[in-house]
Amino acid sequence: MSGVALFRCRSCGHHWQFRRALCPACAEADPEPVEAEGHGTVWSVTVVHRAPTPELDVPSGYGIALVTLDEGARVMARAPTELATGMRVLVHARDGLLFASRA
Amino acid sequence: MAYLTGVGLTAFGKHPGKGPVDLMEEAALDALADSGLPRDAIDGLISGYAMTYPHLMMGAVMCERLGIRPHHAHQAQCGGATGAMAIVLARHLIAAGACRHVLVLGGENRLTGQSRDDSVKALATVGHPEHEVPLGASIPAYYALLAARYLHETGATEAELAELAVLMRRHAMDHPGAQLRKPLTVEDVMASKPVSTPLKFGDCCPISDGGAAVIVSVEPLSKAAIRLAGWGEAHTHQHVSEIPDDLGLGAKIAAAQAFDIAGRTPADMRLLGLYDSFTPTLAIFLEALGFAAPGGAGRAAREGLFAKDGPLPLNLHGGLLSYGHPGVAGFMAHVVEVVRQMRGEAGSRQVADAPLAYCHADGGVLSSHVGFVLERVA
Repeated sequence: MSGVALFRCRSCGHHWQFRRALCPACAEADPEPVEAEGHGTVWSVTVVHRAPTPELDVPSGYGIALVTLDEGARVMARAPTELATGMRVLVHARDGLLFASRA
Repeated sequence: MAYLTGVGLTAFGKHPGKGPVDLMEEAALDALADSGLPRDAIDGLISGYAMTYPHLMMGAVMCERLGIRPHHAHQAQCGGATGAMAIVLARHLIAAGACRHVLVLGGENRLTGQSRDDSVKALATVGHPEHEVPLGASIPAYYALLAARYLHETGATEAELAELAVLMRRHAMDHPGAQLRKPLTVEDVMASKPVSTPLKFGDCCPISDGGAAVIVSVEPLSKAAIRLAGWGEAHTHQHVSEIPDDLGLGAKIAAAQAFDIAGRTPADMRLLGLYDSFTPTLAIFLEALGFAAPGGAGRAAREGLFAKDGPLPLNLHGGLLSYGHPGVAGFMAHVVEVVRQMRGEAGSRQVADAPLAYCHADGGVLSSHVGFVLERVA
C-alpha cells in the first residue's frame, strides 16, 4: 500500500488530504481516514534550484510535484527532476513525507 | 462614499538603519502632507505586519509613533493582499460611521533587516507545515507550480512570460524610486539563473526595503476626488495543494463583485494596478480578468497593450517586479501610482487620461484576493 493518508466523506465520497472536521464538498461530518492506492497524474511539477534553506540545496535541484490521485485528492510530493505534467506516477509515504515516481 | 485622499511612498531598495516603523512613519507623513489633513484628523489606522519586526500590535505602535489617538487601530495580515484589503476595510469603517479618515500603512526593511535565507524561509511558511514545507518548498516553488500549470494549460511560452518582466522594467526606468532600473530584455530574463523551473530570477520580484501609505476619507479633499467605486474579495484556499482547478477563479470572483458594485465593466478601465510577485501572477490575473486572451498576456504586453501610451497601461511605476517588494507596502505602491496617474501628477510617466482604474492583489498563493475599482468623480 502507498501509506498516503487521505480522508473520505461517508456521504458524498469526496477525498481530500488535509485534516478537517467537515467534508469541504458537502459539509458532512465525521470523515473516514483512508489510505490512497497511490496512483495519480502529475498536475504540475517544478525543479527547485534555490532551496528555502541552504542545507536543502542540491546542485541539480530537486523536484516538487502536485499530483492528482485517482481518488481525486491533490497532494504535494517530492519528485524526480524529469517528471512532466500529465505523466502517470506512483505516490508513496516515507517518514511522513510523500514521494512520487514514474508509474 | 469613500475617497482616496492621500498617498505616500518611499523609494524601494535599500534603506540601511531604518526599521518598519521608520519606513511606515516616513510614508505616513508623506501621505498626510499629500492630503492636507492635520495629523489629528486621522481617526482610524490600519497597519500592515513586518516579518523583520514581528509584533502583535503594530497598529498601536504606529499610533504611538505618529502621536495620534484614533477611534480604531489594528494590524492587518493577509499576505500580499493586506494593503488592498486594508483600503477596502477602511471604506467599510467609514460606511459604518466609525471613522472619517483612515490611514493605511505598510512598511518593512525586508532587504537589509534580515538575511536572504531568513526572508525565503519565513515566506515559505505560508506553505502547509505538515504537507508542504517539509518537502523543501518555497514561495517561488509554489508559484512555479502555478506557472508550470499555466504554461501547460495555455500553450504560452517562458519567453512570453518574460515579456511581462521586461515591461515592468521599462516602466521602472521612468521612476527614480524604483529598485531595479537597468534595461532588461527577454533574452536577459531567459538567461537568468533558474530559481524554480520554469521561473528564473528575471521572473521574480526582488526583496526590498520600503514604505507606503494611503488615506481613505469620507469626503474628497483638496485634490481630485478618487472614489472607491467597487470592491470585492475572494478566499478560495490557502495552500497551493488545495488551489481550485481554475487558477483564475479567485481573481474572477473578487473582480466580478468589484465591477458589479461599481456598475462598470473591465472594458471601462483605462489603467491597471495588478499584483505581480512573479510573471505568471500577472499573466494569470490579466487573463482571468479578461484583459488578455488565455495564454496571451505576454504577447499582449509585447504588442504594447499595457504600455504608457497603450489602451490599458499597467503598473506604470514598475510593479513588484521592478519597483520592488517590501511586503505589505509592495502592492500599496501600485495604488499610490494609480492615484497619482488619475490625478495627473505622474510627470514623465503620466498617461493621457485615466478616469477609471482597477487594482487587484493576492495574498498567499493566489489564495486571498482583493480587487477594487477607482473612479475619478471630480
